[in-house]
Amino acid sequence: MGVTDAPWMLGVRAPDRGRAILVVTVDGELAVAVHDAVPGGMAIIRDARSEDADEITAACLPWPWMVIGSAVSLTPALASVLCHRPVLTFWLGDVPAGLPGHARCFDRPAALLDAVRGACAAQVGEMRLAPGSGVELDDGTLMRGAMLESLVAAYPHGFALPAQNFRAVSNALTRSHAGWCVQRDETGCVRLVSSQVGAGR
Amino acid sequence: MRANPEVLILEDDAETLDELQTHFTRKRFHPLGARSASRALSLLENNRYSSRPVLAIIDWDLGKAPDRSASSGDVLSRLARELRECPVIVYSQNIDAFNVRSQIQRSHPRALLHDKRDGDASLLERIDRMLDRTVGDLRIHDGTVVVHLPSLDQHHHREAIRLVVHHPDIVTFHSDTATKAVRRFGEWLHSHNSAVRLVSHGNRKYRLSVTASEGAAQPCDKA
Repeated sequence: MGVTDAPWMLGVRAPDRGRAILVVTVDGELAVAVHDAVPGGMAIIRDARSEDADEITAACLPWPWMVIGSAVSLTPALASVLCHRPVLTFWLGDVPAGLPGHARCFDRPAALLDAVRGACAAQVGEMRLAPGSGVELDDGTLMRGAMLESLVAAYPHGFALPAQNFRAVSNALTRSHAGWCVQRDETGCVRLVSSQVGAGR
Repeated sequence: MRANPEVLILEDDAETLDELQTHFTRKRFHPLGARSASRALSLLENNRYSSRPVLAIIDWDLGKAPDRSASSGDVLSRLARELRECPVIVYSQNIDAFNVRSQIQRSHPRALLHDKRDGDASLLERIDRMLDRTVGDLRIHDGTVVVHLPSLDQHHHREAIRLVVHHPDIVTFHSDTATKAVRRFGEWLHSHNSAVRLVSHGNRKYRLSVTASEGAAQPCDKA
């Protein structure tokens, strides 16, 4: 068979700045299902095991856009990224300690895969995810930035993270006159809101 | 004089390898054929500075390979690390098995998968669909030129072919020379009022985008 004797050389560990979905499982079956669910060119699927999850997390630059897990505990580097960065976090089955407050948990793979499809197809006003990286506006303008990609994909949900983490994306939205701003909601999550709604508060 | 774009083929069965090489030669590509993973790794190493294949076709099961010192996973991992811009098709008799798919995708997360049980004709048909692509008002002709269909003007650079083959995916280019060629291709598209435009994602990453009102692109090829 084709399995390499040099697991440290696996392509899944190669650093890349493209949008990444990190799937950490015991056997890779869920990663294969996620691969089938994600539209071509939208994101690279990185199929990880507990033993290499930290290295693969570090290879997702600047951080994974989405982390999906099942039947594994959080590794130290992965837990740190999830608690400090706006990473969409979807979990199947028993929830491990250390997941952030914005994590979404699922009992069935089909529901999780629907949520993955929904995140890939997210549209907020004129903003939608561009293939591979960035956020595209209806006029073809490409806005780059991992934070904005996360906020668009999470909409209408958000991230249980400090609001100051999102200052750069908030400024970028103001400059681009996109009609959206970043605000903390009543659940304590930071998310996108229409500028008109935001101004009315 | 134009250099024909290379295609890397790793296939342990001599007859199938010969058939694939003949197919690509007929289409004016330059096939780099190997019956073992170690030979494929040598071809990649020896051609490191002179060429970068526009496509790689990899047989996952190399039971008949004359030399088993390396695996198809080693070749895929090398391609994923060093030739990220090269699309890869991996085929196997067991492509339905999730553990095989997982192993392949851990070796090369962007690899496209093909079922060997569908036969060689099915593989060739899929390759042709990738290489004879029409994207908006552009078409690859003979593997060596991108044709702007309304004007029939031609653009010859291999990096332009790479972008069309990859559409809608982002391509990361490996050198300043390659990115200059890509920008020239972008200017060429603009000067021809093409429905296709070049989008820069920074860090030598580019993709093609088709204007919605113009010619529709083919759906992305995905296993």
